[in-house]
Amino acid sequence: MFARSAIATRSAAPALNVIGQTRNMATLKEIQNRLKSITNISKITASMKMIASTKVTRAQRAMKIARIYGNVSSDFIEQAEVKKADGAKELVVVVSSDKGLCSGIHSSLSRHTRKYLAKYPDAPIAIIGDKAKTQIQRVLSQNMTYSFNQIGSTIPAFDETSAIASVIISDKSIEFDNIKLVYNKFASAIAFETSEIECFPASQIVEAPGFKSYEVQEEILENLNEFLFANNLHWALVEGHAAEMAAKRTAMENATKNAGDIIQRLTLQYNRGRQTVITNELIEIITGASAL
Amino acid sequence: MSFLARTFKPAAAFARVSRQAATRLYASEASAASSGKLVLNFALPHQIVLSSKEVNQVDLSAVSGDLGILADHVPTIEQLKPGVIDIIADSGAEKYFVSGGFAIMNPNSVLNINAIEAFKLEDIDAQAVASQLAESQRLAASAKDELTKEAAAIEIELYEAIQTALSTKAH
Repeated sequence: MFARSAIATRSAAPALNVIGQTRNMATLKEIQNRLKSITNISKITASMKMIASTKVTRAQRAMKIARIYGNVSSDFIEQAEVKKADGAKELVVVVSSDKGLCSGIHSSLSRHTRKYLAKYPDAPIAIIGDKAKTQIQRVLSQNMTYSFNQIGSTIPAFDETSAIASVIISDKSIEFDNIKLVYNKFASAIAFETSEIECFPASQIVEAPGFKSYEVQEEILENLNEFLFANNLHWALVEGHAAEMAAKRTAMENATKNAGDIIQRLTLQYNRGRQTVITNELIEIITGASAL
Repeated sequence: MSFLARTFKPAAAFARVSRQAATRLYASEASAASSGKLVLNFALPHQIVLSSKEVNQVDLSAVSGDLGILADHVPTIEQLKPGVIDIIADSGAEKYFVSGGFAIMNPNSVLNINAIEAFKLEDIDAQAVASQLAESQRLAASAKDELTKEAAAIEIELYEAIQTALSTKAH
């Protein structure tokens, strides 16, 4: 009778336990797989954060120089008090890049551009960088004139800037007076602000109140203006690059931290599951042994 | 030490020099009160050469001619052609060869110079200049389209300017 009941209990309990064990083990396997994949992801994001950190320091150094360069160039515009003419048509140049994983950098730029175009729906747009291009193209493809890519992997050099500036300026079919550069200003290592740099036409410079004090040959005015535009564009490109690297670093740091949290939670779950399985096996053995 | 091979290609858009009759806009207002010293800002896109440096005189090689700027010079805007900028301060004189750019003298006695490339004359390798010049001359002679011809002409102007600068320095 004992033997029968032992067999009875033994066959019944393991059957239940097997299902329970299978369920637990399937869950345990799943948890193990998830843990493995998330650990891999956190290693990748940690290394991306390291890369972005080194790029940030270099980009910040270049940005300091480019800021001074841009300020030296536009010092004259401020001193002469060049103003924007009423009803001036603006060409919007959006300075973004091709690379992603940098939190709100590109969407902030496209939001800013869309807000401006809601007020001035005829403004032509030139976009530097594929990420902003895909976002803006969805709503404003009829305003787009030029788009540039292969930007963003390295600190922009002046020859890239002058190539872009030449293309934009030499296309006489686009009608505009002023150029508005929309870029991300580097506020701090963890914050950026979407800002604008305004570039004026030669006609506005000549009308500026302070301009009368300057002695200048008329035919270099157009050259001067193109040069000022290229300098401002260079400043926007380099500062935008620095802001993007900082944002990427912060994004990867957050991702690594979040992955770490998930790993902790899953490890606890895994251990509890493992302990449950072992406890059940023990119970099974003990009940089986006591039944004998 | 030759830095020349890729860095000295001036942007075609800015170095186009118009040779028609010069129309000069003259200053109609006198500048503000004199401050006595000339403050110089000399910036390149990748390097700030001088920032807020007090100097006595700056000699420039401009498209409209060579000129020397002293403190409280009339505000002026000059396009620079490839040539030597001579900066004379109390601490001594420094010569830089610039590839081109703009010099703007402001009413507050601040001179702002933006150039694309600038090197001290002693950092330039005369041999490299000679070989690059020969290369550009060959290119100008054999070029088929206008754009290459013009680009080569700009390069020739640049290299000849460097050679003149190096030879005058040697004297």
